[in-house]
Amino acid sequence: MAMSIEEVEAAIIEKATKSPKPQLYIKDFYKCDSDRKPREIKKIANKLVTKGELMFWSSGSTTMYARPDRIKNEEGAEGIN
Amino acid sequence: MPKHDTPMLDELENGPWPSFVTDLKRQAETHDECWDILGQMELSYKDKITHWKHGGIVGVFGYGGGIVGRYSDVPEQFPGVEHFHTVRINQPSGLYYSTKNLRDLMDLWDKYGSGMTNMHGSTGDMILLGTRTENLEPLFWDLTHDLKQDLGGSGSNLRTPSCCLGESRCEWSCYDTQDICYHLTMHYQDEIHRPAFPYKFKFKFSGCANDCVAAIARSDFAVIGTWKDDIQIDQAAVKEYVAGNYPANGGAHSGRDWGPFSIQKEVIALCPTRCMWMEGDELKIDDSECTRCMHCINVMPRALRPGKQKGATICMGAKAPILDGAQFATMVIPFIEVSKENEYENIIDVIEQIWDWWMEVGKNRERVGETMQRIGLPTFLSVMEVEPLPQHIKEPRSNPYVFWKEEEVEGGWERDVVEFRKRHAA
Repeated sequence: MAMSIEEVEAAIIEKATKSPKPQLYIKDFYKCDSDRKPREIKKIANKLVTKGELMFWSSGSTTMYARPDRIKNEEGAEGIN
Repeated sequence: MPKHDTPMLDELENGPWPSFVTDLKRQAETHDECWDILGQMELSYKDKITHWKHGGIVGVFGYGGGIVGRYSDVPEQFPGVEHFHTVRINQPSGLYYSTKNLRDLMDLWDKYGSGMTNMHGSTGDMILLGTRTENLEPLFWDLTHDLKQDLGGSGSNLRTPSCCLGESRCEWSCYDTQDICYHLTMHYQDEIHRPAFPYKFKFKFSGCANDCVAAIARSDFAVIGTWKDDIQIDQAAVKEYVAGNYPANGGAHSGRDWGPFSIQKEVIALCPTRCMWMEGDELKIDDSECTRCMHCINVMPRALRPGKQKGATICMGAKAPILDGAQFATMVIPFIEVSKENEYENIIDVIEQIWDWWMEVGKNRERVGETMQRIGLPTFLSVMEVEPLPQHIKEPRSNPYVFWKEEEVEGGWERDVVEFRKRHAA
């Protein structure tokens, strides 16, 4: 049975919390629900950013996702210190 | 009064060309942080290493692009550039600014940033260089509410689409580049403002093969105007060019004496497919051999015009050298209708087909052109559901990449090896 959006959100948050690296590419979340198309996973991940569960980290050319507490610990409250 | 000694940078003011060092010193009179840019750059020249750290979590609420974090790794020495973020502004289609709009933008940037700009970045958007994190939200508010403009794309987003000025001024434009650029910018707001892909993705729209926005060299998805039927010829005007009564190239090279115009030397001999010739005083073109390169039309604009059945060629996969070398786009769809009537539905179908495939197959930080190269053109063409065409091949026997599939061959690949060896000993 297909996962609900709430279940996919929970799987993405778990992945972002437990992964050894704090920053993850969007592709890293595809396996959270391999039945969904990448564009759907992208939309769910971006929704989690607006909810404050995830945060964007951008190098300028690439954008990654991270849990706010993990990324702020590494970078400081405002960004890289 | 300079804050830092910059003897190496000062050398860059000695040549005959305009110098960014001079510009920065002038700007530093009103924006103190510009002295720190110069100081940090001098230190980089000395240390032979950059002192910029790039990337971070900065941005405006709801957006995942348009702001690029920049920080100094020596902020105690150069506090003015401790934060020095870049802001990308979506440019108007065809780069039509009013002077009022430009003044307003500069006033905005003087208020919230360093006043330094890059007009424009290679994606096409306006780049404002240098502001602090706490200025980002107020800047964004003023930009969107007072100037009614928006941020452009950055990171793994769809980058700010860009186009040539198209039909607004150019008689050669084969479709309305500004309209499709605006339409797709609005259609793909989510992809521009929030990350969507394994890496950046760029659209560019050129009205003809002169390709004034360098779509074929800079964009993952280049829509380049072309035509299907024959070049329109006005033989009377050809005669006027031959007689020297009309200036070649619309008079563009009239600053010096290049000698009398020679249609043989300047047009026929320079045709890349040699598809033109003179019969008496009439110019003939074998349009089936013409690649629509625009050279002859550029030289004799009063005599030659693009055909009447207009549309575009779609080329995919260009990129600058970052992970791999630079590459031009590959021609994938030789001709496609570009129509406002259907709101560019057929172009959108092609775009989403490539996105759906690339998002699944593309590796992290891999441009679509690199994915195409990795999996090979035959597979890519079958993904795009495009039949291989002679035009996909650079030249016969040079890149013969299209092979028969088993189901296309009578009897398939299966064979009796024992039977074969009876006739062909190992």
